[in-house]
Amino acid sequence: MVGRIKLAGLIAALLVIFLPSFTLSQDVNFGVAPAEVKIDNLPPGETTEFELTINNKDAIAHVFTFTTFQPPEEERREGRAEFPDDSWISFSSQEIEVPANSQANVTVTVAIPQEQKWAGEDWETWLGVAAESSDLLGVKLYVRLLVSTNPLVRSKSNAGLFAGIAVAVILLGCGAYYYFRRKAKPE
Amino acid sequence: MKAVITSIVVAIILALIFSLPALAQESGTITITMTGVNEISISLDKTQWPLGNVASNTEYETSPPIEWCTLTVEGNYNVNTFIVGEDAKWVDNPGAYKWTLSNDGTNGENVYGLWFRISGDTARGYVPVTKTESEFWPYAGGSGSSLAPGDTKQFGLRLLTPTYFVGGRQMQTQITISAVAA
Repeated sequence: MVGRIKLAGLIAALLVIFLPSFTLSQDVNFGVAPAEVKIDNLPPGETTEFELTINNKDAIAHVFTFTTFQPPEEERREGRAEFPDDSWISFSSQEIEVPANSQANVTVTVAIPQEQKWAGEDWETWLGVAAESSDLLGVKLYVRLLVSTNPLVRSKSNAGLFAGIAVAVILLGCGAYYYFRRKAKPE
Repeated sequence: MKAVITSIVVAIILALIFSLPALAQESGTITITMTGVNEISISLDKTQWPLGNVASNTEYETSPPIEWCTLTVEGNYNVNTFIVGEDAKWVDNPGAYKWTLSNDGTNGENVYGLWFRISGDTARGYVPVTKTESEFWPYAGGSGSSLAPGDTKQFGLRLLTPTYFVGGRQMQTQITISAVAA
Protein backbone atom coordinates (compact mmCIF):
# COMPACT_ATOMS: atom_id res chain seq x y z
CA MET A 1 0.00 0.00 0.00
CA VAL A 2 2.79 2.38 0.99
CA GLY A 3 4.61 1.44 -2.25
CA ARG A 4 1.53 2.31 -4.31
CA ILE A 5 1.22 5.70 -2.63
CA LYS A 6 4.91 6.40 -3.32
CA LEU A 7 4.45 5.42 -6.98
CA ALA A 8 1.39 7.65 -7.32
CA GLY A 9 3.37 10.52 -5.78
CA LEU A 10 6.23 9.98 -8.19
CA ILE A 11 3.93 9.99 -11.21
CA ALA A 12 2.28 13.16 -9.98
CA ALA A 13 5.69 14.76 -9.60
CA LEU A 14 6.57 13.91 -13.18
CA LEU A 15 3.46 15.49 -14.56
CA VAL A 16 4.04 18.87 -16.07
CA ILE A 17 1.84 21.44 -17.66
CA PHE A 18 3.11 21.70 -21.21
CA LEU A 19 1.77 24.55 -23.28
CA PRO A 20 -1.53 24.95 -21.47
CA SER A 21 -2.53 27.66 -23.87
CA PHE A 22 -6.29 27.61 -23.77
CA THR A 23 -6.46 31.20 -24.82
CA LEU A 24 -8.04 32.15 -28.11
CA SER A 25 -5.79 31.56 -31.08
CA GLN A 26 -4.05 34.66 -32.39
CA ASP A 27 -3.19 33.73 -35.95
CA VAL A 28 -0.54 35.88 -37.50
CA ASN A 29 -1.12 36.88 -41.08
CA PHE A 30 1.29 39.31 -42.66
CA GLY A 31 3.29 39.92 -45.81
CA VAL A 32 6.58 41.56 -46.74
CA ALA A 33 7.52 43.32 -49.97
CA PRO A 34 9.66 43.12 -51.97
CA ALA A 35 10.50 39.44 -51.92
CA GLU A 36 13.99 40.02 -53.31
CA VAL A 37 16.37 43.01 -53.38
CA LYS A 38 19.36 43.14 -55.71
CA ILE A 39 22.04 45.78 -55.21
CA ASP A 40 24.58 46.09 -58.02
CA ASN A 41 27.82 48.01 -58.37
CA LEU A 42 28.11 49.01 -54.70
CA PRO A 43 31.69 50.24 -54.15
CA PRO A 44 33.42 49.19 -50.91
CA GLY A 45 33.38 52.28 -48.71
CA GLU A 46 29.93 53.26 -49.96
CA THR A 47 26.52 52.97 -48.24
CA THR A 48 23.11 52.45 -49.77
CA GLU A 49 19.60 51.91 -48.43
CA PHE A 50 16.17 50.65 -49.39
CA GLU A 51 12.79 50.09 -47.77
CA LEU A 52 10.86 46.97 -46.80
CA THR A 53 7.09 47.18 -46.45
CA ILE A 54 5.38 45.08 -43.76
CA ASN A 55 1.69 44.50 -44.35
CA ASN A 56 -0.20 43.45 -41.20
CA LYS A 57 -3.33 41.70 -42.48
CA ASP A 58 -4.60 40.85 -39.00
CA ALA A 59 -7.41 42.53 -37.11
CA ILE A 60 -5.01 43.27 -34.24
CA ALA A 61 -1.72 45.16 -34.02
CA HIS A 62 1.52 43.16 -34.08
CA VAL A 63 5.13 43.90 -33.21
CA PHE A 64 7.50 42.79 -35.96
CA THR A 65 11.19 42.14 -35.41
CA PHE A 66 14.00 42.21 -37.97
CA THR A 67 17.04 39.98 -38.20
CA THR A 68 19.59 38.79 -40.73
CA PHE A 69 20.13 35.14 -41.54
CA GLN A 70 22.94 33.39 -43.40
CA PRO A 71 21.28 30.81 -45.65
CA PRO A 72 23.04 27.52 -46.32
CA GLU A 73 24.94 27.31 -49.60
CA GLU A 74 22.31 25.14 -51.30
CA GLU A 75 19.63 27.76 -50.67
CA ARG A 76 21.59 30.66 -52.14
CA ARG A 77 21.22 31.86 -55.72
CA GLU A 78 23.77 30.43 -58.14
CA GLY A 79 27.16 32.13 -57.98
CA ARG A 80 26.41 33.87 -54.70
CA ALA A 81 28.77 33.62 -51.73
CA GLU A 82 27.99 34.03 -48.05
CA PHE A 83 27.61 37.65 -46.96
CA PRO A 84 30.81 38.33 -44.96
CA ASP A 85 29.46 40.25 -41.99
CA ASP A 86 25.87 40.81 -40.82
CA SER A 87 26.93 43.95 -38.96
CA TRP A 88 27.19 45.69 -42.33
CA ILE A 89 23.41 45.57 -42.51
CA SER A 90 21.28 47.69 -40.20
CA PHE A 91 17.57 48.39 -39.82
CA SER A 92 16.11 51.82 -39.03
CA SER A 93 14.43 50.05 -36.10
CA GLN A 94 14.95 46.57 -34.67
CA GLU A 95 11.22 46.22 -34.12
CA ILE A 96 8.13 48.05 -35.24
CA GLU A 97 4.50 47.94 -34.17
CA VAL A 98 2.09 47.82 -37.08
CA PRO A 99 -1.59 48.56 -36.37
CA ALA A 100 -4.32 46.19 -37.55
CA ASN A 101 -4.81 46.04 -41.30
CA SER A 102 -2.02 48.53 -41.88
CA GLN A 103 1.36 48.80 -43.52
CA ALA A 104 4.66 50.17 -42.26
CA ASN A 105 8.09 50.64 -43.77
CA VAL A 106 11.50 49.91 -42.35
CA THR A 107 14.70 51.24 -43.92
CA VAL A 108 17.56 48.81 -44.46
CA THR A 109 21.08 50.22 -44.78
CA VAL A 110 23.94 48.28 -46.35
CA ALA A 111 27.45 49.62 -45.71
CA ILE A 112 30.50 47.85 -47.15
CA PRO A 113 33.87 48.61 -45.48
CA GLN A 114 36.43 50.35 -47.62
CA GLU A 115 38.82 47.49 -48.31
CA GLN A 116 40.06 46.18 -51.65
CA LYS A 117 39.29 42.57 -50.64
CA TRP A 118 35.55 43.32 -50.71
CA ALA A 119 35.64 44.62 -54.30
CA GLY A 120 34.06 42.67 -57.15
CA GLU A 121 32.12 40.22 -54.96
CA ASP A 122 28.64 38.68 -55.27
CA TRP A 123 26.98 37.89 -51.94
CA GLU A 124 23.61 36.80 -50.60
CA THR A 125 22.00 37.07 -47.20
CA TRP A 126 18.38 36.93 -45.99
CA LEU A 127 16.49 39.56 -44.03
CA GLY A 128 14.04 37.98 -41.61
CA VAL A 129 10.76 39.59 -40.55
CA ALA A 130 8.84 37.87 -37.72
CA ALA A 131 5.78 38.77 -35.70
CA GLU A 132 6.35 38.52 -31.96
CA SER A 133 4.14 35.82 -30.48
CA SER A 134 4.01 33.48 -27.52
CA ASP A 135 2.12 30.83 -29.50
CA LEU A 136 3.62 27.45 -30.32
CA LEU A 137 3.74 28.15 -34.05
CA GLY A 138 5.25 31.30 -35.46
CA VAL A 139 5.87 32.60 -38.96
CA LYS A 140 8.98 34.29 -40.32
CA LEU A 141 9.34 35.70 -43.82
CA TYR A 142 12.72 36.12 -45.47
CA VAL A 143 13.65 38.69 -48.11
CA ARG A 144 16.57 37.67 -50.30
CA LEU A 145 19.25 40.39 -50.35
CA LEU A 146 21.74 40.05 -53.23
CA VAL A 147 24.71 42.42 -53.07
CA SER A 148 27.33 42.84 -55.81
CA THR A 149 30.23 45.17 -55.13
CA ASN A 150 32.00 47.42 -57.60
CA PRO A 151 35.47 46.20 -58.67
CA LEU A 152 36.86 49.59 -57.59
CA VAL A 153 37.18 50.72 -54.00
CA ARG A 154 35.78 54.17 -53.34
CA SER A 155 38.64 56.43 -52.23
CA LYS A 156 38.37 57.68 -48.67
CA SER A 157 38.55 61.27 -49.89
CA ASN A 158 39.37 62.95 -53.18
CA ALA A 159 43.05 62.84 -52.23
CA GLY A 160 44.15 62.01 -55.78
CA LEU A 161 42.17 64.86 -57.22
CA PHE A 162 43.47 67.34 -54.66
CA ALA A 163 47.07 66.15 -55.15
CA GLY A 164 46.72 66.58 -58.91
CA ILE A 165 45.35 70.08 -58.55
CA ALA A 166 48.07 70.99 -56.05
CA VAL A 167 50.82 69.74 -58.38
CA ALA A 168 49.26 71.61 -61.28
CA VAL A 169 49.07 74.86 -59.30
CA ILE A 170 52.65 74.55 -58.09
CA LEU A 171 54.00 73.82 -61.55
CA LEU A 172 51.97 76.60 -63.15
CA GLY A 173 53.15 78.98 -60.44
CA CYS A 174 56.78 78.01 -61.01
CA GLY A 175 56.34 78.35 -64.75
CA ALA A 176 54.73 81.77 -64.43
CA TYR A 177 57.40 82.92 -61.99
CA TYR A 178 60.16 81.71 -64.30
CA TYR A 179 58.48 83.33 -67.34
CA PHE A 180 57.89 86.71 -65.75
CA ARG A 181 61.35 86.74 -64.23
CA ARG A 182 62.91 86.11 -67.60
CA LYS A 183 60.67 88.69 -69.21
CA ALA A 184 61.60 91.25 -66.59
CA LYS A 185 65.37 90.72 -67.17
CA PRO A 186 66.88 93.54 -69.21
CA GLU A 187 68.13 92.38 -72.65
CA MET B 1 57.98 81.05 -73.85
CA LYS B 2 58.88 77.42 -74.61
CA ALA B 3 59.47 76.81 -70.94
CA VAL B 4 56.07 78.15 -70.03
CA ILE B 5 54.28 75.93 -72.55
CA THR B 6 56.31 72.90 -71.43
CA SER B 7 55.55 73.52 -67.77
CA ILE B 8 51.83 73.94 -68.48
CA VAL B 9 51.73 70.68 -70.44
CA VAL B 10 53.68 68.86 -67.70
CA ALA B 11 51.34 70.33 -65.09
CA ILE B 12 48.24 69.15 -66.95
CA ILE B 13 49.69 65.67 -67.50
CA LEU B 14 50.66 65.30 -63.85
CA ALA B 15 47.29 66.59 -62.71
CA LEU B 16 45.54 64.06 -64.93
CA ILE B 17 47.76 61.20 -63.70
CA PHE B 18 46.79 61.95 -60.11
CA SER B 19 43.17 62.89 -60.56
CA LEU B 20 41.82 60.56 -63.26
CA PRO B 21 41.78 57.39 -61.14
CA ALA B 22 39.98 59.32 -58.41
CA LEU B 23 37.43 60.63 -60.88
CA ALA B 24 36.97 57.21 -62.45
CA GLN B 25 36.14 55.67 -59.09
CA GLU B 26 33.30 58.12 -58.68
CA SER B 27 31.70 57.20 -61.97
CA GLY B 28 30.04 53.86 -60.89
CA THR B 29 26.27 53.89 -60.52
CA ILE B 30 24.70 51.83 -57.73
CA THR B 31 21.54 50.12 -58.88
CA ILE B 32 18.92 48.59 -56.60
CA THR B 33 16.48 46.20 -58.18
CA MET B 34 13.40 45.25 -56.20
CA THR B 35 12.35 41.91 -57.62
CA GLY B 36 8.86 40.81 -56.78
CA VAL B 37 7.37 44.07 -55.60
CA ASN B 38 4.34 41.95 -54.84
CA GLU B 39 4.67 40.56 -51.36
CA ILE B 40 5.78 37.24 -49.94
CA SER B 41 3.34 35.84 -47.39
CA ILE B 42 2.24 32.59 -45.76
CA SER B 43 -0.35 31.90 -43.10
CA LEU B 44 -1.09 29.11 -40.60
CA ASP B 45 -4.63 28.30 -39.53
CA LYS B 46 -3.48 27.09 -36.10
CA THR B 47 -0.75 28.40 -33.87
CA GLN B 48 -1.50 26.71 -30.54
CA TRP B 49 -1.47 23.16 -29.24
CA PRO B 50 -3.09 23.06 -25.79
CA LEU B 51 -1.65 19.86 -24.34
CA GLY B 52 -2.28 20.38 -20.65
CA ASN B 53 -0.48 18.00 -18.29
CA VAL B 54 1.96 15.57 -19.85
CA ALA B 55 3.79 12.55 -18.49
CA SER B 56 7.46 11.75 -18.90
CA ASN B 57 8.78 9.61 -21.78
CA THR B 58 5.46 9.74 -23.62
CA GLU B 59 4.51 10.59 -27.18
CA TYR B 60 1.75 13.07 -27.96
CA GLU B 61 0.37 13.77 -31.42
CA THR B 62 -1.80 16.54 -32.69
CA SER B 63 -5.30 15.58 -33.68
CA PRO B 64 -5.76 14.88 -36.52
CA PRO B 65 -2.15 13.67 -36.61
CA ILE B 66 -1.00 14.96 -39.99
CA GLU B 67 -3.76 17.33 -41.04
CA TRP B 68 -3.83 19.40 -37.89
CA CYS B 69 -2.58 22.70 -39.32
CA THR B 70 -2.80 24.14 -42.81
CA LEU B 71 -0.06 26.33 -44.26
CA THR B 72 -1.31 28.53 -47.12
CA VAL B 73 0.80 30.62 -49.49
CA GLU B 74 -0.94 33.99 -49.32
CA GLY B 75 1.38 36.21 -51.32
CA ASN B 76 1.90 36.14 -55.05
CA TYR B 77 5.37 34.69 -55.09
CA ASN B 78 6.46 31.03 -55.14
CA VAL B 79 8.14 30.11 -51.87
CA ASN B 80 10.41 27.53 -50.27
CA THR B 81 9.55 26.86 -46.64
CA PHE B 82 11.61 25.86 -43.60
CA ILE B 83 11.04 24.85 -39.99
CA VAL B 84 13.05 25.36 -36.81
CA GLY B 85 12.44 24.65 -33.12
CA GLU B 86 13.98 25.76 -29.84
CA ASP B 87 14.42 24.64 -26.26
CA ALA B 88 11.26 24.64 -24.12
CA LYS B 89 11.60 27.12 -21.27
CA TRP B 90 9.93 27.33 -17.90
CA VAL B 91 7.41 30.15 -18.23
CA ASP B 92 7.87 31.43 -14.67
CA ASN B 93 11.67 31.62 -14.90
CA PRO B 94 12.96 30.99 -18.44
CA GLY B 95 16.61 31.29 -17.42
CA ALA B 96 16.39 28.76 -14.61
CA TYR B 97 15.01 25.64 -16.23
CA LYS B 98 14.51 24.26 -19.72
CA TRP B 99 14.01 21.16 -21.77
CA THR B 100 16.65 20.92 -24.49
CA LEU B 101 15.34 20.14 -27.97
CA SER B 102 17.16 17.07 -29.28
CA ASN B 103 18.70 17.13 -32.74
CA ASP B 104 17.28 13.78 -33.83
CA GLY B 105 13.83 13.57 -32.26
CA THR B 106 14.95 11.33 -29.40
CA ASN B 107 14.55 12.16 -25.71
CA GLY B 108 16.59 12.01 -22.51
CA GLU B 109 16.70 13.64 -19.09
CA ASN B 110 15.31 17.15 -19.63
CA VAL B 111 15.69 16.54 -23.36
CA TYR B 112 12.62 16.37 -25.54
CA GLY B 113 11.92 15.39 -29.14
CA LEU B 114 9.70 17.16 -31.61
CA TRP B 115 8.59 15.93 -35.03
CA PHE B 116 6.45 17.13 -37.91
CA ARG B 117 4.76 15.21 -40.68
CA ILE B 118 3.27 16.66 -43.86
CA SER B 119 0.12 15.07 -45.18
CA GLY B 120 0.90 13.07 -48.30
CA ASP B 121 4.65 13.01 -47.62
CA THR B 122 5.07 9.26 -47.41
CA ALA B 123 8.75 9.40 -48.34
CA ARG B 124 9.89 11.20 -45.22
CA GLY B 125 7.14 10.37 -42.75
CA TYR B 126 7.78 12.06 -39.40
CA VAL B 127 10.80 14.42 -39.56
CA PRO B 128 12.57 15.74 -36.43
CA VAL B 129 12.28 19.45 -35.75
CA THR B 130 15.69 20.72 -34.61
CA LYS B 131 17.28 23.98 -33.58
CA THR B 132 18.78 24.29 -37.07
CA GLU B 133 16.51 25.63 -39.77
CA SER B 134 15.72 22.73 -42.07
CA GLU B 135 13.56 22.15 -45.14
CA PHE B 136 9.81 21.94 -44.61
CA TRP B 137 8.69 21.95 -48.22
CA PRO B 138 10.13 21.28 -50.77
CA TYR B 139 13.04 19.16 -49.54
CA ALA B 140 16.28 17.91 -51.11
CA GLY B 141 15.81 14.59 -52.85
CA GLY B 142 12.05 14.93 -52.93
CA SER B 143 9.93 15.24 -56.03
CA GLY B 144 8.00 18.27 -54.77
CA SER B 145 8.52 21.77 -56.06
CA SER B 146 8.25 25.15 -54.40
CA LEU B 147 4.80 26.24 -53.24
CA ALA B 148 2.87 28.55 -55.55
CA PRO B 149 0.39 31.23 -54.47
CA GLY B 150 -2.77 29.57 -53.20
CA ASP B 151 -1.02 26.24 -52.51
CA THR B 152 -1.58 24.61 -49.13
CA LYS B 153 0.25 22.01 -47.05
CA GLN B 154 -1.33 20.24 -44.11
CA PHE B 155 0.87 18.93 -41.34
CA GLY B 156 0.86 17.63 -37.79
CA LEU B 157 3.25 17.51 -34.83
CA ARG B 158 4.49 14.85 -32.46
CA LEU B 159 6.00 15.55 -29.04
CA LEU B 160 8.19 13.09 -27.15
CA THR B 161 8.55 14.25 -23.56
CA PRO B 162 11.82 13.90 -21.61
CA THR B 163 12.56 10.66 -19.78
CA TYR B 164 12.82 12.79 -16.64
CA PHE B 165 11.80 16.35 -15.90
CA VAL B 166 10.92 18.52 -12.93
CA GLY B 167 7.16 18.34 -12.55
CA GLY B 168 4.63 21.06 -11.98
CA ARG B 169 6.29 23.61 -14.21
CA GLN B 170 4.63 25.27 -17.15
CA MET B 171 6.88 24.89 -20.19
CA GLN B 172 6.71 26.85 -23.39
CA THR B 173 8.44 26.59 -26.74
CA GLN B 174 8.05 27.90 -30.27
CA ILE B 175 8.30 26.35 -33.71
CA THR B 176 8.94 28.82 -36.51
CA ILE B 177 7.89 28.13 -40.07
CA SER B 178 9.61 30.43 -42.52
CA ALA B 179 9.37 31.18 -46.20
CA VAL B 180 11.64 32.71 -48.82
CA ALA B 181 11.13 33.53 -52.48
CA ALA B 182 11.88 30.40 -54.53
